[in-house]
Amino acid sequence: MSFQLTDIPRILPELMLLLLALLVVGSDVLTRWGRDPKARAERAREAGQLTAIGLGLVFVVALIQSRLLFTVPDPTGGPLDVLLTLGRNLQAGGPGGPALLGAFATDEFTMVARLTFVGAALLTSLLAMGYRLTANPGEFYSLLIFSTLGMSLMAAATEFILAYLALELSSIALYVLAGYFRESDRSPEAGLKYFLFGSLSSAIFLYGISLVYGFVASENQKAGGTPIIATLFSEVGRLATGEAASNPLLTLGMLFIVAGLGYKISVVPFHSWAPDVYQGAPPPVTAFLSTASKTAGFLLLYRLLTTAFPGAVGAPRLETFSGWTSLLAILALVTVIVANLAALPQTNARRLLAYSSIGHAGFVLLAILLWTSSSQVDRDFGTMALFYYLITYTITNVGSFGVLAVVSGAIGNDDLSDMNGMWRRNLPLTLMMTILILSLAGIPPLAGFWAKFFVFMAGYQAGAVPLVAIAVVMTVVSLYYYLRFLKAMWMNPAPATTPIVTPRIANAAIVASTILVVLLGIVPNLIWGALSGTTAFAGR
Amino acid sequence: MPSMTEAVPLSWVLLLAGALFCIGLFGALSRRNTVGILLGIELMLNAVNINLVAFWRYLEPNVVAGQTFALFVVTVAAAEAAVGLAMIIAIYRSRQTVNADEVDSLRG
Repeated sequence: MSFQLTDIPRILPELMLLLLALLVVGSDVLTRWGRDPKARAERAREAGQLTAIGLGLVFVVALIQSRLLFTVPDPTGGPLDVLLTLGRNLQAGGPGGPALLGAFATDEFTMVARLTFVGAALLTSLLAMGYRLTANPGEFYSLLIFSTLGMSLMAAATEFILAYLALELSSIALYVLAGYFRESDRSPEAGLKYFLFGSLSSAIFLYGISLVYGFVASENQKAGGTPIIATLFSEVGRLATGEAASNPLLTLGMLFIVAGLGYKISVVPFHSWAPDVYQGAPPPVTAFLSTASKTAGFLLLYRLLTTAFPGAVGAPRLETFSGWTSLLAILALVTVIVANLAALPQTNARRLLAYSSIGHAGFVLLAILLWTSSSQVDRDFGTMALFYYLITYTITNVGSFGVLAVVSGAIGNDDLSDMNGMWRRNLPLTLMMTILILSLAGIPPLAGFWAKFFVFMAGYQAGAVPLVAIAVVMTVVSLYYYLRFLKAMWMNPAPATTPIVTPRIANAAIVASTILVVLLGIVPNLIWGALSGTTAFAGR
Repeated sequence: MPSMTEAVPLSWVLLLAGALFCIGLFGALSRRNTVGILLGIELMLNAVNINLVAFWRYLEPNVVAGQTFALFVVTVAAAEAAVGLAMIIAIYRSRQTVNADEVDSLRG
């Protein structure tokens, strides 16, 4: 396995993201703006536009490359040959083929994940453009892009060093973004808390990796000591069979890895940073880190567990520990109960949605449990359910945190009481927020319903019936706080009648996510078919 | 004269790393000063490095994976510490404290 020139198109979207990030941060230096507030506003607009256009371009390239929509035909000698050749060359880096250097999987799993992250970053950059940015806008947007790059690498990683570096790239950029408003009271505190929890967890994650590395090295030495790359997920999976699968070193390593990634996906008991950070971070950043970051964590966890620990799957029973599915089942149980109960008394809208998002992480875990099944059809269904949930969750939460960003940009605060009588102040925004909230609650004609339906099916097929029953009960409990949100917007008297103005550019992002939520709810097959390709990922 | 790997068994080195990890974890969870927490985390990362280098030296000295990984960890830890200290300074400027208990405007 060595790097070849033909590998470059396969990481083209990542290279484009890297270039774009450098370009955006460089544009800050190259332009004259200084202290003049008008020039600053102009600079912020330019940096935002550059980011949005660049991310749009990356999205289109990644979409063409993924072959999800169409396969470009061979050039026929017509006038369109230039375009066709370009398309062919792009798609040459599409899904299939062995992983790049063994570390980076270029399968449809990666492609769909990449599209999700770039799409979320694009919507976030639109939200950020509608929000007042004070200092160094180029830095803000470039950190956003770096973080996207890290997430994309996380979902593609099939090797521990790359997985760790990708995790850190996405996390460190997000720490800075969360603490970006240095003058405000809350933002630096959110950044600091996020940083402390994040770096503690990454140290735990690393310790787990070091144990697993030791396991592979020692097993390989026992087997004769032919040189291998001991940090590949697949090498762990290959050596952890039979007797060796119950090696305490491996089990301990796995526990540490799940605990370390648990912070990224914010499942209870590793969730305590989430409400504080979601509330304190700049609102557009919250929209990004509550969705894309969590999705990346789940995808890394899924690929890692299924590839490196296929021998330690176990069964999702709550009584006895038998492998990682029972570990995840326990985490899912605690998460759905604690998060949904803790959300009930919240008075801050972003805090409330933070607990709701922790609860969603518990539901997502149900889809992963289905790996316990020995039938490939079942496992494929689990993968698709996982992707469907993560994608719809990302779209919905970018939209709903986007609405909160608009409200807090206009009013300066985002307590639940600030939403009182919102329909009098901005009817379209209230309508869209209602749709998004109902989707989060899982009301039938919307995307959130299908997402929940699929993960509950997956959990049921995995045999975790009591867990699914509790999750369903908790969905009903969650209705209470979602309806409280709706009541504030529609029934409570408005404290003022001054309209809340939606910035046009932020409106575009919110409208786009609302339309997608409705569309995916009415026609879930729209992406369900495309997701069937993701099941053939490198770890299978 | 026995070689280093014969004189010191691997398990001793791993115990050292384990102890260092636990001390770091305890420090990170018990210290109230944010700089102290950061130091605890650095100790944990160093425990990881000892683990990686020890496994590499004792089990597969002809391959570079463990050694390389340790280098990456050191580099990333430096970047992380830079970001963390910058945040602590930002907090200190606005609140005149780096005590984790007193940084509590976000709660509920």
